[in-house]
Amino acid sequence: MSDDKPAFDRGSALSIFGSDRKEDFMALAIALVIAFAVYIMY
Amino acid sequence: MVYTKKSPALFIIGIIMLAIWYCADSGLLTPYIEHLGGKKYKYFHELTSIPLYFGIISVVIGAWQWFGSHKESHWDYYSSSVAGAMFILVIAMLVRWFIAPEITVISKMGPSFGGKHIAKMLGLNYVVIGIVAGIIIVNVFKVPKWAENGVRVSRLGLKTGVILLGTLYSAAELKNLGGLSIIMIGFFVLGSVGMVLWMGARRNIPNSMGGVLSAGLGVCGVSATVASAPVVQAKPTEIAYTIGTILLWGVGCMFIFPIIGNLFNMGHVQFGAWAGTGILNSAQVAGAALAYQPDGIETLKVAEIFNITRVLVLPIIVLWLAVWYVKREESVTETVNVGQVVFAKFPVFVLGFILLFALSSTGIFAPANHYKGKYFGNTAAQGFKESKLLKTNDIALLQAETGKIQRADRKEALSRLMANKKIMSIDDDDVLRGLVNAKVLSGKANKVLKHAHKAVRHTAKKIKAFRNWITWLFAFGLVGLGMQITIGSMKQAGGQPAVIGAVVGFTKAVLSLIVVLLFVHETI
Repeated sequence: MSDDKPAFDRGSALSIFGSDRKEDFMALAIALVIAFAVYIMY
Repeated sequence: MVYTKKSPALFIIGIIMLAIWYCADSGLLTPYIEHLGGKKYKYFHELTSIPLYFGIISVVIGAWQWFGSHKESHWDYYSSSVAGAMFILVIAMLVRWFIAPEITVISKMGPSFGGKHIAKMLGLNYVVIGIVAGIIIVNVFKVPKWAENGVRVSRLGLKTGVILLGTLYSAAELKNLGGLSIIMIGFFVLGSVGMVLWMGARRNIPNSMGGVLSAGLGVCGVSATVASAPVVQAKPTEIAYTIGTILLWGVGCMFIFPIIGNLFNMGHVQFGAWAGTGILNSAQVAGAALAYQPDGIETLKVAEIFNITRVLVLPIIVLWLAVWYVKREESVTETVNVGQVVFAKFPVFVLGFILLFALSSTGIFAPANHYKGKYFGNTAAQGFKESKLLKTNDIALLQAETGKIQRADRKEALSRLMANKKIMSIDDDDVLRGLVNAKVLSGKANKVLKHAHKAVRHTAKKIKAFRNWITWLFAFGLVGLGMQITIGSMKQAGGQPAVIGAVVGFTKAVLSLIVVLLFVHETI
């Protein structure tokens, strides 16, 4: 492991994620989990 | 760098949430809930569940953050955002459950306009108050250090909410909407968006500002602004300016539209079509329609059909803006492969919205013909209860008043209702609702018809659950959004959005008025 590579990203002023794409996929994953939970529970 | 702060803040937030839950669950809050509306208070179920779950999470993670040892890692970075996220959530809870209802109670003591109190007319609901609360916190008190990282997850909440919004639409819904509303809304929405983008380019405002303003002015106000903001990478100040422009224009329209409607002696259908097309925000569309016809709902019904049609155009506009923004941002590069850029930069959450819209259209979450989360069903398998069948005296009451009805379709629908003791089809249900609204029958007979309607219209539980999730994700995201809006950055934004908003809003209002007066008649 190289020392110059950060161990984590700091995101931007608007997001804790390193890129919008990463944030989008996270939102999609959360939405699908919620949708699945709603589908199962109700 | 270690991001996790050894602070008791999250632990205390958890205790506050648990205290809210305990006070509500044990009945200590009952007198205050009575003050806020008693049986009409809608949030009691939320009070006795949500703060319990999130309170436990906050106390557990808060205790670990306060007493545990922390070192630099991905877990440290991401988990440090929990404190800020819960800080936003507890503010959203307080605004939704206590502050907004309290403002309504106070507002009801004051004067009313067209049967609406000031807070309702101005759309001072928990969303608007939540944004204002966020703005006050960041500008007056400053966001605490331990919460700074968490404020940056608010956009994640908004994106998740937009994706889930896809579940509230279905292709079948379009069948319930009139052809005229689709044509008019399609023309005026696309026209407004195109005009804002054109004016934005001429006046050299940033693409992100032009994009978010076009969606806000073209589609359905605040929701469209929020939905399109991530697509065009809009800054909080740009979102704030767009929402401010929409609300300012909408409040003005709410007072001016009814005056103009009376000047032109417009019919209910004409005015409803005009208000639903020309006014930007949903709450103010309803306000203007009710101000024009305070003693009936015909105008409101037409206005709402147009308003819903406008919301349905949202996915198309978001897609348009996504492609437009990518092209505009990359136009300075000479050799650019648009396809590659679109693939690389296209917001995945829009695809998520379309995915859930497609899933919803299959009927996976609710019967495919659901409308606003409600569907028709008059069999036991579809949720109809035999106890809801009309009683003998109900049928006798309806029978006695049949002579008052002139229209053949209404007579036939009523006849089928009396013969079967329940409404037999969705078409009959629509016809009988029209009969109730026309106030042809007595109040007692209308009450019977309303009961018959409620017996066959069921709310899909899954859709209801999705609505709750979306509501909270938006509440969370918008309070966090408010915390990213500082007065200093607002001053830097300039007055161009207001100018463009006024020009486009005025053009849309005038043109839609002309179209309505020329082509819309009392019967569509």
